[in-house]
Amino acid sequence: MSRVLVAMSGGVDSSVAAALLVHAGYEVIGVTMKTFCYSDTPAHSKTCCGLDGIMDAKRVAEALEIPHYVFDVEKDFTRDVIDDFVSEYAEGRTPNPCVNCNSNTKFKDLLARGQALGCDQIASGHYVRIEHGPAGSSLLRGLDPDKDQSYFLWAMPKSLLPQLLFPVGELTKSAVRAQARELALITADKPESQEICFVPSGNYRDLLEKRLSSVHPALQPGPIVRRSGEVVGEHNGYASFTVGQRKGLRGGFPEPMFVLQIRAAEREVVVGTRDELFERVVDIAGLNWLAEPPTMGQRVDVQLRYRAPAVPAIVTLVGETLTIELAEPQVAVSPGQSAVLFDDQERVLGGGRIVGASKGAMV
Amino acid sequence: MDPIYFDYAATTPMRSEVREAMDSCFSHRIGNPSSLHQWGRRASAALESARAIAAEALGAQPSEIFFTRGGTESDNLAVLGRCRALSRKSSMPTLVISEVEHSAVYNTARWAEERGELRLVVLPVDMDGIIDLDPLHVALRSGPTVVSVMWANNEVGLLLPIPEIAALVEEFGGTLHTDAIQAIGKVPVSVADPGIHLLTSTAHKIYGPRGTGLLYVRAGTEITPLLYGGQQEGALRPGTEDVAGAVAFAMALRLVVKELAEEAIRLEALRDAFEDRVLAEIADVRINAGAALRSPSISSLGIDGVDGGLLVNALDLEGIAVTAGSACASGTIAGSHVIRALYGPDDTKATVRFSMGRYSSEVDVSQGASVLVEVVARLRRLEQAS
Repeated sequence: MSRVLVAMSGGVDSSVAAALLVHAGYEVIGVTMKTFCYSDTPAHSKTCCGLDGIMDAKRVAEALEIPHYVFDVEKDFTRDVIDDFVSEYAEGRTPNPCVNCNSNTKFKDLLARGQALGCDQIASGHYVRIEHGPAGSSLLRGLDPDKDQSYFLWAMPKSLLPQLLFPVGELTKSAVRAQARELALITADKPESQEICFVPSGNYRDLLEKRLSSVHPALQPGPIVRRSGEVVGEHNGYASFTVGQRKGLRGGFPEPMFVLQIRAAEREVVVGTRDELFERVVDIAGLNWLAEPPTMGQRVDVQLRYRAPAVPAIVTLVGETLTIELAEPQVAVSPGQSAVLFDDQERVLGGGRIVGASKGAMV
Repeated sequence: MDPIYFDYAATTPMRSEVREAMDSCFSHRIGNPSSLHQWGRRASAALESARAIAAEALGAQPSEIFFTRGGTESDNLAVLGRCRALSRKSSMPTLVISEVEHSAVYNTARWAEERGELRLVVLPVDMDGIIDLDPLHVALRSGPTVVSVMWANNEVGLLLPIPEIAALVEEFGGTLHTDAIQAIGKVPVSVADPGIHLLTSTAHKIYGPRGTGLLYVRAGTEITPLLYGGQQEGALRPGTEDVAGAVAFAMALRLVVKELAEEAIRLEALRDAFEDRVLAEIADVRINAGAALRSPSISSLGIDGVDGGLLVNALDLEGIAVTAGSACASGTIAGSHVIRALYGPDDTKATVRFSMGRYSSEVDVSQGASVLVEVVARLRRLEQAS
């Protein structure tokens, strides 16, 4: 029987993933990745990968009578995820660390260590589906539209796909919880993790202040301007802003103002009305494909934020970077976030990081 | 293949004689030793008999044996308790420890130093296992000094020259504590040497229960307690006594001391057979502290080209139980201050400790070596491929 390594965060989804594989007859090995030092986070914090998570994963593994190990990936995680997170904010972009972690650190490392432990396959509790066929493996959205996590996985190397299993991708969250209760798993009613695991307070500015020099431009006051260049206020450092954000802009405007753009070189935060927030043309870079790369003129569905619905678009330029034109303009297209492309069968084609957005030529 | 346990230095299974002795204390006939009725008298008699047995095994007087709830507690009580007793009378004491002490002494010492309770001197140990005693000479001449050096190291099995240190300490009038947890049952240990004032032992490394320890305190050596409450254990360790634990501990101690001569020879032969195989069949491997005098039960290996944590995981999947470095709370491997002390901060070898005990057989050792050879070869192949 084939031996599978299951990444167990200590949450309900990966607990059920492990249980399903055990019941399907696999020889299952549970592992939890220790991604950062726990001494700074308060005990009993709610984030998924804290020490509590490790202990919960151990208990579930014990109940399932499978071995459980902890992989220390702190060094790689700090370099690939935390450092990148900080430098993206420093450049005025809005990073998505979960994409980095899931696409790079997690599965690559699991596969390497899994091989050492004699595992043929790697599984996790992500809400995505995978189809292994003669023509190759495809990654698809999870069946539960509210929980789908395909947005986080577009950047993983295509070569990993044949070795992956996602047992809960075919289930809804409520079915997963029901399974967990039926199996009496201690994590059955554990709340969802919401925050970024290494920013348990939810306040990422504290982390930036700790890791950037205190005189870094991203943390210095600068002007808030309109598109016209008119200065309308002052901000306390552009690292605190993200495109589409309304909170944090002082009042005094006749209508609600939103962040339209961050001009890091000028330390400017550009604001405007909600109407000005809509963009139609999106440039993405750092491309990665899990299926055949799209071609000019191809119709795709594109997702621009985690949990945002995908919108129809047309690929208008393919090269080192990719340009897509959205069928309908979208609000808050934030540089640094991922643009993930799907076909009409919910198959993940791949994606890239958003590097720019514009209104484009009106047709 | 049945799983094989090579982690006796972490903890040992309880032997049947000990379990039977312990079981007898859980009957309703045994009460609280402080009680003035027959239930109490029976408990008190069992406890004092255990104390006498433990004392005899160590060459001590019963009045010098204080039961505690474990090795860490005994180490804390010895180090902090003695330093505090001294500082009440005179200036700040100096604590001298070795670089390879167990964290129960090492971290306690560092914590107390940070709090300004004592001046800390750490004696270096080189890769041949030789401890530098020069700083000890200096400290002993400078004022009230407490020395805490372990008898046998838990990670690599290194034996430290306790008689030599005891003679020095005796000459200058200091206090010597030794954590003998890994030495008892492996090498002859006795407090007959007048230079030893305090000695730590624990039950669960010698086939007794977890959660029971003792501190030997030479008559006349003043100690300040860590806990306050009742008068149990001479008020040095207040709280209702763990009679069953003490009885079991005493039985375990008596048995390992009685069997020592024969068992040490047997263990040494097992260890040597294991190391011969390892050295012959694995390239680029080092026996940690291999040139030094070592406990017969511990074989610590430094292996190039593999990840220590992964090696332990892979061995576990093959049913081989070993330890790598020292495990931290999350279950990962923390860097070992002992290996750093011996081989410097740049040593990149993965450490893995095989420790044998009374249920280890020749067949076990041979199978353990075979699996290790195979797993190291596999991990190295993958490491090179990646």
